[in-house]
Amino acid sequence: MAVIIEVLGWGGRRRQYYQVDADQVSIGRGYDNDVVLPDPHISANHLRLDASGDGWAITDLDSMNGLQVLKNPSPDASVLASGSEIKVGRTRLRIVANTHPLEATKLLHRLERDSSQLNRVSVWLPLLLTVIVVQIVALYAGTVAEWEWKNAIPVILSAQLAIFVGALLWGLVGRLVKQEAHLLGQYSLILLASLVFTGCEWLLSTLSYNFNSVLFGETVQQLVAMSILLLLLSANLALATNLSSRSRWSGCAAFVGLLVIVGTVGQMKRWGEFSQFPQYSSTIATPTLLVVNGQTSEEFLADITPLFDRADEAVLKKE
Amino acid sequence: MLRMALLFILAWHGAAQGQNDTARDLFADYKSAILQIRIIDLTSGSKSTIGSGFPVDDSGLIATNYHVIQLAASEPQQYRIEYLTESNKTGELSLVDVDVVNDLALVKATDLDRKFINLAPKEPEIGMPVYALGNPLDLGLTVVPGTYNGINRAGYHPRVHFTGSLNPGMSGGPTIDREGQVVGINVATAGNQVSFLVPVSRLQALFAGYKTRDAAIVNMQAYIGAQLLADQQEKFSRLLARDWQSISLGESKVLDELVPFVKCWGGSNSSDDKAQFLSADRSCRSEDNIYLTSTFATGILEYQFIWLEANKLNPWQFYSYYERLFGDFAPGNRAGEEDVTDFQCDNGFTQGTSGRQSKTVFCLRAYKDYPELYDILFLQGSVDDSDRALISHFTLAGVSKDNGLAFASKFMEVSQWQ
Repeated sequence: MAVIIEVLGWGGRRRQYYQVDADQVSIGRGYDNDVVLPDPHISANHLRLDASGDGWAITDLDSMNGLQVLKNPSPDASVLASGSEIKVGRTRLRIVANTHPLEATKLLHRLERDSSQLNRVSVWLPLLLTVIVVQIVALYAGTVAEWEWKNAIPVILSAQLAIFVGALLWGLVGRLVKQEAHLLGQYSLILLASLVFTGCEWLLSTLSYNFNSVLFGETVQQLVAMSILLLLLSANLALATNLSSRSRWSGCAAFVGLLVIVGTVGQMKRWGEFSQFPQYSSTIATPTLLVVNGQTSEEFLADITPLFDRADEAVLKKE
Repeated sequence: MLRMALLFILAWHGAAQGQNDTARDLFADYKSAILQIRIIDLTSGSKSTIGSGFPVDDSGLIATNYHVIQLAASEPQQYRIEYLTESNKTGELSLVDVDVVNDLALVKATDLDRKFINLAPKEPEIGMPVYALGNPLDLGLTVVPGTYNGINRAGYHPRVHFTGSLNPGMSGGPTIDREGQVVGINVATAGNQVSFLVPVSRLQALFAGYKTRDAAIVNMQAYIGAQLLADQQEKFSRLLARDWQSISLGESKVLDELVPFVKCWGGSNSSDDKAQFLSADRSCRSEDNIYLTSTFATGILEYQFIWLEANKLNPWQFYSYYERLFGDFAPGNRAGEEDVTDFQCDNGFTQGTSGRQSKTVFCLRAYKDYPELYDILFLQGSVDDSDRALISHFTLAGVSKDNGLAFASKFMEVSQWQ
């Protein structure tokens, strides 16, 4: 029975492995061993494994730093079963039989399967250009003073820098966890989310301008923003990690939920706080975005009459 | 020539000397009649505010400003009123009547035996020398000579324009003519020798009202509420009965000065070469500030129009500027959390008789101590032209529901962009 000695790295991941087709395996720093490990805390001849039934008996060969059994699936402590983990010096080793069952092959996430499509300059560049154009249009429309590129360029660059740093962080996570950064893919995801967010915000504010309804109010706008963030985070995680879809979604939901709670607590201070100034809807949009027809002034005044009762109720409530 | 100029200077000097002599005589005659009115905080035992006052009859009835004794009127369990004579005698005062609209109050002393000052039966002529008496800044009794400049019509409530310097602490003191008769009650200053008096006729009315009733007010809050309600009712029935004239602003017609209630001012950026757009505005305001507490004033009526033309701006830029401007309106009167509710607002689109579409915002807050009174903020902006716009706004402080709605209706009818 061949024995496989795996050297484990960060997160219990296999860094290196040795396969030995013998009943006796010697492990140490010396070149006469079957498995030669470079760790300076390991003795020249550190330990020996002897095949014994389904497992291996382990013998410490008078090493200076000894050995430690970290994990042993066998009920019999004197024998290491396949899948056991030991620590020698500073090195973690896993001992498995070559017949040890493998974990099921993981299906690639949809985003990763398509990452050949997503993680491409031909996807990223059009998205980047669209985002920049949208931002320039928004800046231009919001400028009352004469348009000057020197004012716009720092704004655009700093937005792109922020997105790039975000993508870089996700890329780093991907590099560590999956040995694959998907940098352009992550960048494209954030660009896409910012485009969708801008579109939704614009659509909702236009709707709320035309129809004075809570359906398009501030709460709904925040809800939409949080949903987009949830989708983005989940997609980022899918590209960067091997998390199961359930833990990915619940993690993202927990994070977004936390954001909502922190935001609400922050706003709670202002609830019921008196203000001298009226909080009215001040949205005004160009005539092309106006689709409804106005009431007569009599109809309008009749409609706002309940405000007086609401104010009277507010007096009674405070008393 | 030189001789004539010299004579003129001498004559003028002579006149000034005469005025000073009168001031000195009047001061000597009336200094014992001027009292310092102090509001004492019961917890600390110290004075919180001071003002002036003077006896108006031989029964110990003393006139002063409402704003001098307001703390004691609003919180009688926390403050009491006392007087201090020029000979350092103090005594208790009780509040018997107020006229908040004209900022007057009557207080009564039980143990005061002082010479009282007669109220002038009629208004003096404009240009007559008059003398304001009082205790400026707690520095002791002072006389300020000045000129009577007639009743000012900058607001609905009349005030005498007095050319002389009134200072804090002189509030509630009398301004007397050469015969020693009260022609007004010191109330406010606009600085630079421009000061205001409550006309003596208002004090006569309050005095007569109290004499017929001959009893102190029991529920002060309800009494003040009734005064405010009656005052706005009279003011708005006069206002609404008038024929409102319009005046052009840009291509629109807007409400002109509602003489004698308001005065209007205007301006534009048309002389600014760097301006990307045109903005012309017209703001009208009545100076009726009814003092209720140090943080709460009412009675103000103001309206404002802004005409905008895009000029060099494209529609998107024009509307983004317009939107910023539209979000920047606030009421013209101060009020605190104890006084009013938060503003309640609603908005919608309205169509004028000319078919123009506007976004219209209506906000109001109720008075907590005075039922049926509200502050109303109205705002309207045209939204159907991509390179021109008209913003119309008014604030009414301390108005009833019916008057507020009637004003809004008439306002929308008169101010339109055809």
